[in-house]
Amino acid sequence: MTKAWARHCGCSILPPELLRRIALRGNARQRETALATLATDHTLRLARATYQLLASPQRGLLGVPVAAKRRTVYDAQGHETLPGKVVRTEGARATRDVAVNEAYDGLGATFDFFADAYDRNSIDDEGLPLDATVHYASRYDNAFWNGRQMVFGDGDGDLFNRFTISLDVIAHELAHGVTGDEARLVYLGQAGALNESISDVFGSLVKQYARRQTAAAADWLIGEGLFTARVHGVALRSMKAPGTAFDDPLLGRDPQPSTMAGYVRTSTDNGGVHINSGIPNHAFYLAAIALGGNAWQKAGRIWYETLRDRRLKPTATFRQFARQTVQNAAQLFGATERQAVASAWNEVGIKT
Amino acid sequence: MRIDFRVEGGLAVFPGLAQPLTIDCDALPRPESERLRALVERADFFALPARPRAPRLPDARAYTIAIDDGPQCRTVTVREPIADPALRELVAELRERAASARRAR
Repeated sequence: MTKAWARHCGCSILPPELLRRIALRGNARQRETALATLATDHTLRLARATYQLLASPQRGLLGVPVAAKRRTVYDAQGHETLPGKVVRTEGARATRDVAVNEAYDGLGATFDFFADAYDRNSIDDEGLPLDATVHYASRYDNAFWNGRQMVFGDGDGDLFNRFTISLDVIAHELAHGVTGDEARLVYLGQAGALNESISDVFGSLVKQYARRQTAAAADWLIGEGLFTARVHGVALRSMKAPGTAFDDPLLGRDPQPSTMAGYVRTSTDNGGVHINSGIPNHAFYLAAIALGGNAWQKAGRIWYETLRDRRLKPTATFRQFARQTVQNAAQLFGATERQAVASAWNEVGIKT
Repeated sequence: MRIDFRVEGGLAVFPGLAQPLTIDCDALPRPESERLRALVERADFFALPARPRAPRLPDARAYTIAIDDGPQCRTVTVREPIADPALRELVAELRERAASARRAR
């Protein structure tokens, strides 16, 4: 409740208790608005609430910036017990362990991206501490989000390098946390493929933002650097050209379609969530290129607002999601942007 | 005893890795076969539920293990992270064997 209200606290007909909660838990701008509202209203009740806030010991209300990172990196030391041993906390110096530092920096880059680009305070928009575990299991070639934290394996060293090597993979995992907090898209079928695609979208945007790259300059690859030199492939996926990221005697060929004509019906991979995500991935790429400039500013914003849109159901289909992005493009920007987003979906075979 | 091991899910789909691993324990050197039998026994494999009650976590894997041991025969799917340490050990062993088989190919 607080969160939904806090987002719209610019209009001040909110009761003081709510304003107080916004001031305590909102982001910098929301807090400022809430405090200003509390302070300028001259009813006795509001004045009292204001003084309580100013005196609140809880979060050093007026001094501390709200969007503060709280990162912890753990080491599972080759075991599968989570979270493992604490090896680096917020503000601590770099360690000698490259995976630890990559995880720490990746968490930071992702946090900064969401804070700067969308004014989002961490995964839950309420400053959730960010936790990651590295060296999970033995020669483990995967990374996942367990609902609370990120988990990274070292790779088998044969086909895969350590999974912290790609910033977009770290951001991909964190974005699963954002989706879990907002749209809660079920991890199955089309909704699951949307869930995956959103993680690739923001994974790629975090990397683009960190490199200050425009849509046209970006590589649109997910997981570049993950493969060892012996693998014939550049990355796990390509948003620009789904289906072309790898073609290797051992790994096989990148199975991602770029349009609905290639949609794969399967019972494996939770109904092909990492396969059919190629379709919305490519739609995002096309929209971002058409809208030009930095992808996070227009295309990313439209996708982000759609992810937070109450009308988006956890069981959303590609088409439902697509329609929502088209509406949000019109609402946020205008007719030109609306047309660009609709064309992008149309090009991948989804009529909006 | 025959073990079929299949890995599904994960951060990306690799069609080449979808091939299940089959282990014929009777064809293995004795210490290896005994080690596998001990892991299966410790995990109390034939008493495990066939399907996990665990949620589908993003990018996490599911492992399907089918074991045929004469009168006893069972197929179990588990999702990671695996809570039971004994089962975790069995899956880790099978995962390692699958990787070795892959390297040998």
